[in-house]
Amino acid sequence: MLLASMNKVVFGYSDVPCLENATMDIYSGEFVAVTGPNGASKTTLLKLALGLLKPWRGDIYLAKQNQSGKRLVIGYVPQQIAAFNSGFPSTILEFVRSGTYVRRSWLHKLRPSDHAITEMALRQVGMWEHRHKKIGELSGGQKQRICIARALAQLPDLLIMDEPTTGMDQESRVGFYELMHHHVKEHGRTIVMVTHSLKEVQSYLDRIIELEKKEEGGWKCCTTTSCSGHFSPVG
Amino acid sequence: MEMLHYDFMQRAFFAGGLIALVASVLGVYLMLRRQAMMADMLSHVSLAGVAGGAYLQLNPSLTGFAIAITGAIAVEYVRRSYKTYSEISTAIIMIGGLSSAVVLMSLNQGMNKSFSSYLFGSIVAVNQTELSLMIAVALIGASFFILFRRPLYQIAFDEETAATNGIPVKWVSLIFSVITGMIAAAAMPIVGVLLVSSLIVLPASLAIRVSSSFTSALYIAMGIGLIGVFSGLTASYELSTPPGGTIAVVLLILLVAGIAVKKLMLKVGKLRSKNSTSKVDNMSTAFPRFTMNSSIQTTGGKENENLV
Repeated sequence: MLLASMNKVVFGYSDVPCLENATMDIYSGEFVAVTGPNGASKTTLLKLALGLLKPWRGDIYLAKQNQSGKRLVIGYVPQQIAAFNSGFPSTILEFVRSGTYVRRSWLHKLRPSDHAITEMALRQVGMWEHRHKKIGELSGGQKQRICIARALAQLPDLLIMDEPTTGMDQESRVGFYELMHHHVKEHGRTIVMVTHSLKEVQSYLDRIIELEKKEEGGWKCCTTTSCSGHFSPVG
Repeated sequence: MEMLHYDFMQRAFFAGGLIALVASVLGVYLMLRRQAMMADMLSHVSLAGVAGGAYLQLNPSLTGFAIAITGAIAVEYVRRSYKTYSEISTAIIMIGGLSSAVVLMSLNQGMNKSFSSYLFGSIVAVNQTELSLMIAVALIGASFFILFRRPLYQIAFDEETAATNGIPVKWVSLIFSVITGMIAAAAMPIVGVLLVSSLIVLPASLAIRVSSSFTSALYIAMGIGLIGVFSGLTASYELSTPPGGTIAVVLLILLVAGIAVKKLMLKVGKLRSKNSTSKVDNMSTAFPRFTMNSSIQTTGGKENENLV
């Protein structure tokens, strides 16, 4: 099932486009990496796909429903989110629990299952024991982990992460890739993440979307590479 | 409690208490959204409404209230135009409001004396109309903060993530700005235009520093706001000082004392942990390795998904 797509999208922040003729498709059940050099508009590509930015030209599609016909739940971990609002006066538990709000109405009381999901997400990133600590007491890598936990607590159909391993050591990164691979294969989630550590993550991926500079004018475009033996879109 | 025998003091305490509760909660969200100066700006804008109302022979409190809401809507639009430098929107609207107020005041020389009560607040300024306005604002504000508590929390942390969760960020932000304008205008008769922000920012500043969670930050802010207003009004009555300045001074003293106690407690805590070898913070530094047999899968995962 096609979850998100872009067709010949052009976008720029000033009068010069930074992204031109960007074309890509994201199918459910895929683990996709977006890569490219610094300034290649990787973050812009994700924001366009999420509808946070409006393109100058071209078509962008984002599914409204998941395969079960329910509202598509999107988890998003922006770049350097952990560095932003570091003094937020919230406990780790409050913060990660806010991920479950997406499946409840604004006034609906959270159910025991929401608390169980919060616990699961925190345990998966190794932060359950520290749930009563304040966000401000955490290191950059730990903040990044609770941001990932919050996205996981949403039980997202589509999880989009912008350099989620920033601030993590190599051992943590491997643990993270294994966890994401598990969510794709066992829970049927679709994961798209921007990364610079392609060699480390390649064996877990289904596909790589690469942003390149065009020779003629310096514009960027997308090329898609299938990773060996993994690619098997669901639906 | 002789002062509470007077009707105007009863009104001031009742109205002040209500406004302190909603203003303190508003302050927490404003600070987290990096908009601490917004209340100050809107109170200055509402002064233009007061001056305009006086010039046009209308009720100054109601025109001040209306202009504060208009300013709140305007600031939201300007904020979107200057997304990277959101404080510019505050400066632009404040300049517009204050300059209009000065021009309108100069056109209406006879009103200068009563303007001082708008600038610095007055215990006797709270008449029945203003009390009704404050009750209405407090009820609207309280309903908003209760009904919108979840989206407000998410927007306060990060607007983009909130938008991807399906929250109508633009609309919630706009309503939030309007509520801010309403609270700033409603608080004006007691604390005065120049010190409205003290009632909004100071309780929140201390609460954010000393609280152990987000929920406790909201309750602590409300408690500090109430203490500040009640003791400020009492001192204002006893010393015959303007209530706005007195409340602000009390809140400042509470802030300085609270931060000092917090720092002291941190120092004592550090000394204790230095002396105790058993208390080592073994906060995990690595992401746990995930395997199919790990206990994580049996306590969470799909079993919990089915329950949702």
